[in-house]
Amino acid sequence: MDEETDFDVIVIGAGFAGAATAFQLLKEGIEGDRILVVDRADPIGGKNMTGGILWGRELDAFKEYLGNWEMDCPGIERCINHKKVGFLNNEDALFIEGRFASWDGTGGTEEPSQRSAWSVLRAKTDAWMAEKMEEAGIFVMAGVKIDQLNIDGLEHTSYDARDLTDPSKDSGVGKAQKWKVDSLPRDVVDKIRNGTITGIVQGGEVMTCKVVVIAEGSNSILTRGYDFDTMLHAQSKDDMLLGIKEIIHLGKERIDERFNCFPGDDERPPSGMAMELALSLYREMSHEAWEKYPNTKGLYPRCGGFFYTNEETVSCGIIVQLKSLPEGLHTYDLYQAFKAQPAIAALIEGGEAIEYGSHLCPEYGLNRMPHRFTRDGAVVVGDAAGLVFANGMQIQGMNYAIHSGKLAGAAIGNCISRKDVSAKALDATYTKSLKASFIFRDLKRFKSATKFLNHPSNFTWVPELLGKTANRVFREIGEEKIPAEKVMLKTRKELRKINKANKKGMGFFGIMRLGLLTRKL
Amino acid sequence: MSETQKIGLFKYDVKNGLGLVGYNIDDHEFAHIIVDIKKCDECSHMMCVWGCPAQCYNFRDQGLEHMKFQYEDCVECGTCFILCDQGAVSWNHPRGGFGITYSHG
Ligand SMILES: Cc1cc2nc3c(=O)[nH]c(=O)nc-3n(C[C@H](O)[C@H](O)[C@H](O)COP(=O)(O)OP(=O)(O)OC[C@H]3O[C@@H](n4cnc5c(N)ncnc54)[C@H](O)[C@@H]3O)c2cc1C
Ligand code: SF4
Ligand code: SF4
Repeated sequence: MDEETDFDVIVIGAGFAGAATAFQLLKEGIEGDRILVVDRADPIGGKNMTGGILWGRELDAFKEYLGNWEMDCPGIERCINHKKVGFLNNEDALFIEGRFASWDGTGGTEEPSQRSAWSVLRAKTDAWMAEKMEEAGIFVMAGVKIDQLNIDGLEHTSYDARDLTDPSKDSGVGKAQKWKVDSLPRDVVDKIRNGTITGIVQGGEVMTCKVVVIAEGSNSILTRGYDFDTMLHAQSKDDMLLGIKEIIHLGKERIDERFNCFPGDDERPPSGMAMELALSLYREMSHEAWEKYPNTKGLYPRCGGFFYTNEETVSCGIIVQLKSLPEGLHTYDLYQAFKAQPAIAALIEGGEAIEYGSHLCPEYGLNRMPHRFTRDGAVVVGDAAGLVFANGMQIQGMNYAIHSGKLAGAAIGNCISRKDVSAKALDATYTKSLKASFIFRDLKRFKSATKFLNHPSNFTWVPELLGKTANRVFREIGEEKIPAEKVMLKTRKELRKINKANKKGMGFFGIMRLGLLTRKL
Repeated sequence: MSETQKIGLFKYDVKNGLGLVGYNIDDHEFAHIIVDIKKCDECSHMMCVWGCPAQCYNFRDQGLEHMKFQYEDCVECGTCFILCDQGAVSWNHPRGGFGITYSHG
């Protein structure tokens, strides 16, 4: 290993994964001025969007750099003590709601008293973390996009960065797609895919280091281009969720009042609500679309809604499973239908939209991970490696990003001190600890949760049936009173009739199968 | 339920929503997404059109005969790159410092 490198470690991307890696490297004893963090956004955070709730106290590990982050970070908005899940159809909304005293973290509860979930706004959070990195002596460069990694024995000018991920002129369609990189000379391609990574290329200049950390998030151009993940694989819509959200300004007082929040004091942030919803709002829209575009007849968009209170604003959005999007439906119209659902409309009433945005979220799961997390001189962390737990309704990615960054930082510290940063050494440390961590445990244990919650029925007839049944059981409009289960059976029969395509899984066996799957939740 | 909320008729004025985010738009020669619009003529699904949350792709849905792509409103989500399986989309991030900047996120 060459001792004369510009840096020990270069981190590409200053999201949660990149920042956690950098802080962990400091803890491992790497000098701040031997760490470079680059991000394409200027100011840092400007490209990032999440739901989002930060789950867990992963950041406590960096108290020496972040101090009392929960109070001081301007992007940590409210502490969540109020959680709702629900089912929405176009008219009815059925919620299960919890308010948990122990989540306030003020003691005196039977359950462990701890604050462990916060609504966050990434632009502010990431900018603040970048400031803290600089204060800790780390080199941070904003507004710099990295296109190429430097590879030992390969001139970076021998290929164009875009060639790595561009389709070739003679590309076929679907699985027959081809990429420009395949027509480069064999030895160049071999080096790109298997050479030792020794740094980054920025504006034609090479900056060298011992280990490159790829923390580039879900649009993982470098991860795909440098063959941690294959292009075809990474372009599959089966494993991607599209998030669309608006930030809606309501003002702090109105939020405190509307959602019964604790207003906050010197000791703890204001409290707030997190809500996730299964949506069945698109029956009529889909039918209209199928008529015009019969190719995807029978496909309903599977969407989850989310709604989080920030200090002055609320984050209101949907997650669309890309594989479930039929032709003829614009994703932004799906979002609009969510906002117009009466229960949601009531929550944002009087508010003003102040930002609209959109971001992808990987939903790879164990079967679809990149085929490697390390190469000689490089590792992948966070979303770029697809380390997200998503089940169609709830997403945990930020805590996983931080945790994978910690593991990478520790592993790299160890490997650098042993003067061996080969893929083998990095695998024996980073990949091994990753696979033993709660990230992989969660992904394994909840495999069937994903299956259950991705089940089309949860986005078609289940919310309709639950909402309508509850409506009918609880109302008093002079109907004859019949027991709830009979109401449910009657409603089910009606729904089967209205909507033949929607019928799937509504038979006796379908319901049994769903029931069996729930046991494994 | 009010008339405007009638089910099935939602039309979101996405361009209005996009007026709320900051952009630093790069010159055409550095456009971060390049679409080979000749390939679109043959495309049967136009999934980019349906998927793009910023309405950057305008095509038969808008009554146009040929694809009209504008990178200027792009929010850099990456959806079109995933949904186009015809090899028509060349996708990358904008150059450093260019493109969208969220102030909340
Ligand atoms: C709609 C939505 C809702 C979500 N909700 C939640 C939630 O409630 N809870 C939760 O825990 N998770 C949630 N997630 C997931 C979570 O946002 C991600 O898992 C998390 O942000 C991943 O962090 P990261 O650091 O890996 O990537 P990112 O946060 O995406 O950071 C990547 C960074 O790399 C930079 N970058 C990229 N390419 C380059 C390059 N070539 N050169 C230089 N810089 C580059 C980017 O500018 C960015 O700053 C949600 C995601 C979405 C889309
Ligand atoms: S999906 Fe691809 S080929 Fe089809 S219209 Fe869109 S960009 Fe063109
Ligand atoms: S990256 Fe997203 S916003 Fe940009 S053109 Fe593609 S789909 Fe539209």
